[in-house]
Amino acid sequence: MSRSLIFLLVICSFVCQAQEKYTINGTIRDASNGEALIGVTVYIKEIKNGTTTNEYGFYSITLPKGTYTVDYTYVGFQPVVLTVTLEKNLQQSVELKPEAEQLQEVVVQAELEQANVENLEMSTNKLEIKTIQRTPMLFGEADLLRSLQLLPGVSTVGEGASGFNVRGGSVGQNLILLDEAPVYNSSHLFGFFSVFNPDAVKDTKLFKGAIPARYGGRLASILDVRMKEGNSKKYEVTGGIGSVFSRLAVEGPIIKDKASFIVAARRSYIDVLARPFVPILQNGGALNFYDVTLKTNYNINRRNRVYLSAYFGRDVFRFDKTQGFNWGNSTATLRWNHLFNERLFLNVTGVYSNYDYALQFGKDDLNRFSWNSSISNFIFRPQFTYFIDSRNELNFGADVTYYTFVPAVAQGVTNGDVVDITIDRKYNLETSLYVGNSQKVSEGLSLDYGLRYSMFQYFGPGTVYTYGDTTAGIRKPVIGSRQYGKGETIASYGNFEPRFSFRIQAGSRASIKGSYNRMVQYLHLISNTTASNPLDVWNPSSNNIKPQLADQFTLGYFRDLTADKQYEFSVEAYYRTTQNQIDYIDGADLLINQYLEADLLSGVGRSYGLEFYAQKKTGRLNGWVSYTIGRSELKVDGVNRGEWYETRFNQLHNLKAAAFYDLNQRWSVSANFIFTSGTPTTFPTSRFVQQGVLIPYNAYESRNNVHMPDYHRLDISFRLEGKKVKKNGKERKNSDYWVFSLYNVYARKNPFSIYFSQSDQRTPAGQPIPSQATQLSIIGTIIPSVSYNFKF
Amino acid sequence: MKIRNQLLAFFLVSGILVSCEEVINPSLQQANPVLVVDAWITNQPATQQIIITRTQPYFEAMLPSGVSGAVVTVVENGGKTFVFTENPTKPGYYEWTPAGADTLKVGEAYALLINTGGETYQAQSFMGRVPVIDSLSFDKDTNIATGDPITRAEFWATDPVGVGDAYWIRSFKNGVPLLKPSEINIAFDAGVSIGGPTDGVIFIAPVRRRINADDRDANDRLISPIKNGDSIQVQIHSVTVAAFTFLNEVSIQTNRPGGFAELFATPLANVSTNITNTNPNGTKAVGFFNTAAVSAAGKRYTE
Repeated sequence: MSRSLIFLLVICSFVCQAQEKYTINGTIRDASNGEALIGVTVYIKEIKNGTTTNEYGFYSITLPKGTYTVDYTYVGFQPVVLTVTLEKNLQQSVELKPEAEQLQEVVVQAELEQANVENLEMSTNKLEIKTIQRTPMLFGEADLLRSLQLLPGVSTVGEGASGFNVRGGSVGQNLILLDEAPVYNSSHLFGFFSVFNPDAVKDTKLFKGAIPARYGGRLASILDVRMKEGNSKKYEVTGGIGSVFSRLAVEGPIIKDKASFIVAARRSYIDVLARPFVPILQNGGALNFYDVTLKTNYNINRRNRVYLSAYFGRDVFRFDKTQGFNWGNSTATLRWNHLFNERLFLNVTGVYSNYDYALQFGKDDLNRFSWNSSISNFIFRPQFTYFIDSRNELNFGADVTYYTFVPAVAQGVTNGDVVDITIDRKYNLETSLYVGNSQKVSEGLSLDYGLRYSMFQYFGPGTVYTYGDTTAGIRKPVIGSRQYGKGETIASYGNFEPRFSFRIQAGSRASIKGSYNRMVQYLHLISNTTASNPLDVWNPSSNNIKPQLADQFTLGYFRDLTADKQYEFSVEAYYRTTQNQIDYIDGADLLINQYLEADLLSGVGRSYGLEFYAQKKTGRLNGWVSYTIGRSELKVDGVNRGEWYETRFNQLHNLKAAAFYDLNQRWSVSANFIFTSGTPTTFPTSRFVQQGVLIPYNAYESRNNVHMPDYHRLDISFRLEGKKVKKNGKERKNSDYWVFSLYNVYARKNPFSIYFSQSDQRTPAGQPIPSQATQLSIIGTIIPSVSYNFKF
Repeated sequence: MKIRNQLLAFFLVSGILVSCEEVINPSLQQANPVLVVDAWITNQPATQQIIITRTQPYFEAMLPSGVSGAVVTVVENGGKTFVFTENPTKPGYYEWTPAGADTLKVGEAYALLINTGGETYQAQSFMGRVPVIDSLSFDKDTNIATGDPITRAEFWATDPVGVGDAYWIRSFKNGVPLLKPSEINIAFDAGVSIGGPTDGVIFIAPVRRRINADDRDANDRLISPIKNGDSIQVQIHSVTVAAFTFLNEVSIQTNRPGGFAELFATPLANVSTNITNTNPNGTKAVGFFNTAAVSAAGKRYTE
């Protein structure tokens, strides 16, 4: 049905063009390295309207015959103004020159000229790689996810937590795309670093609401990370030597202006440095991570271009030669851009993505335990953009994903006896069709509307269990099982996902934007630990687990405070309700459990909040302040007496400030400050003893009944640019800079968790058992670091 | 699956990452005391004990006060009733000594009945079978974290064929019971979790070796669990599946070594109970009733 709708829309748009119209289109690139520029504003002065380039730097505008002034603007680049006479279709690719170095300033929002106020997008944040590189970070390493956490509505439960939370959603409710490949665990080293190598990242966009119809599959957000294509003009090597890891990236043309590549790699060496002090590391132990990112592209001709990108990363924890645990993602993306005609753009993407972990314990082959788990998928995704006219841009396409879940391939060997505790694989197919249109109704009103239909099938082979009803909150009994044959459908679901957003211009400097979207999520991240961690398993919707649904409403006010658009202010409200949210029975067994679904509970959620954001975009001093007040709750039968309770990542107040200041030509300083309300946790009220063991007890059966102390932290970093000219007065070919950073400047012991336990000492018979509460800070001190970065 | 325990051990030994812990004194919500029943009885001919107390504020470092004057009986499915009488010197301690061959029996179901303060509480249990312990052995190893030589004990026994046997393996070093939360050793069939196909085989290595004392020195380094002259005694107690679940929950809630293991910790939650008030609107109780068959073996280590 959706497909015929698409065709109808396309045909209609052909029929509607009675007037003599021509199209101007092309690709906008960075003149210095040939990278396609995403989000460049192409503005037609005569009609006071325009467009922006898409993810591949492509734009297309169709106008009546005539002469037009076209303005190409992109922050950090010198604008280009062209006068064109449209008497036939015109191909107009443009290369923009970067502004001189000293004028380059850190700007979060790329679209300075067509700023947030005039943009239809809301609930969206862009992060420039320059910003990421200037933000003071742990161990001085630029990191995408940690910079992201400085934006409104984005939070984390603390150091040591993998992933991030958006508007009160869980870590598993974010879709993280690296060149369109889903990344199932975005963290290295338990969240201290993210898997994205900043040297290879071009553009980052986070959708928190008003999510376009072409995206789907998660409830809370979409993080779309695009990789660099590689310099198509000249060879370039960038790298850095830091206290935790080193990086090296090489990029250059394969065929000048036709094909280019980039290879970027990182490897941590904390274990190498620590080896003399830690015996475990001398006996074959390891603690490290590494990743390799590569991309290449070939510009076949004006109408065709192909891209191939891949990522491979791994974290390794080993406590001797044979025992340990490792995890990592690998992705591969093949894309083909094709221009059917001046206005119909196609991108076809094929993706392979895999996340897996493996544990091994035991000293020899006769006594050991091994366990592997993985999720992998293949995606086929054709996406069409039809640039109907200067007022309408139609997007339609499909998204087909085939998943294989391997919950556990596990084996225990005892004295040579092998016990296999492998759990059946799960096979799923998620298919979506979408159509969406961006429409500029008038100068004051813009709309974006679309519809996505998603289907999910769970099919055999496999054994499927059914569970009986019982008191909410305790393990459900297995009442039946059924063996399904290969390809036999076990469960299937289908959902319509309407998306709608609008912008009303309120004077020249302000606008009001609103949106509604429904999101559906068929994959569930199973995690009941304090924070998400690498062992969390993904589980598909099944006969027992229904897909998660979310309905989100947003309303925002955006304003440029000054005529030069230097200062911007926005406030946005969001309200989201969710269904089929997963929680866990007490004592749930989530790992290697074929009856896992008997331990899952289902409930509803709601989260709401207000996000304030003020930014100074340029000048020697720039930066932003963001403040979010929000709440995120669940209501699940069997938890907290069936009443609403706060989620583990609920934060009432969330304040962040980031500032960047150029001291002089060579020195600059940046600082960020974070304050968040303490996250909820559960405290006991009472204690009792069973067989000599002290057990905590909460007489009110509460969940998350108290809050931990507030979290706050200040980080500062100084950056020293290397000399630009040699002693003999000639300009240096190479550039370099030093970063000196201080993380947690005033050494606050921010709590990660508070836990209750009996004393570690053996209590003599007849004596009371001492009890205590312990507050754990993952990073309880100031962490200074230095890194050296270069480019030649 | 108690992979968690392995992970905890893993992070304890790695100790590479720096974290910071401090003991704090948070104020806790007040709550009314609740009846606590500690009723783990066995088929042994020795005096059997059921302890009835009340919950205390979490930080109250006092022995819990016993609940006196309760009527405590255990009823065998066949109709036999065993009356537990309060020890006059120990309030809240209710005792029964089997007369002759009148011990509790494998394969029988038992009910616990408690009358106290005008309320009646009851609980059900079943005495499951227990395998004999074939032998105990000692092996020398190196502490992964420190490189120190250590000696550990290991027991050898085979789970009988038939899914659904559950055990609590309790051990004693030089006669002292090992009761730290990190020493709780439970098995479902020969493995560590319900749902793992480990029926009818020798207990898996983590179960066999978890009979050792977990003692650490001032620098938090594991002390060799066995030294020359030490004795170790191991008892396998059969438990019901409900009791296995309870003990698993107790282990999760109480075994908190801290540090990076906290990344894998689950939220604080109440452990289950099988003690119910016959009046659904009456006051609640916590604790557990289990009837265990016991097999035991001991050995002294001499170099």
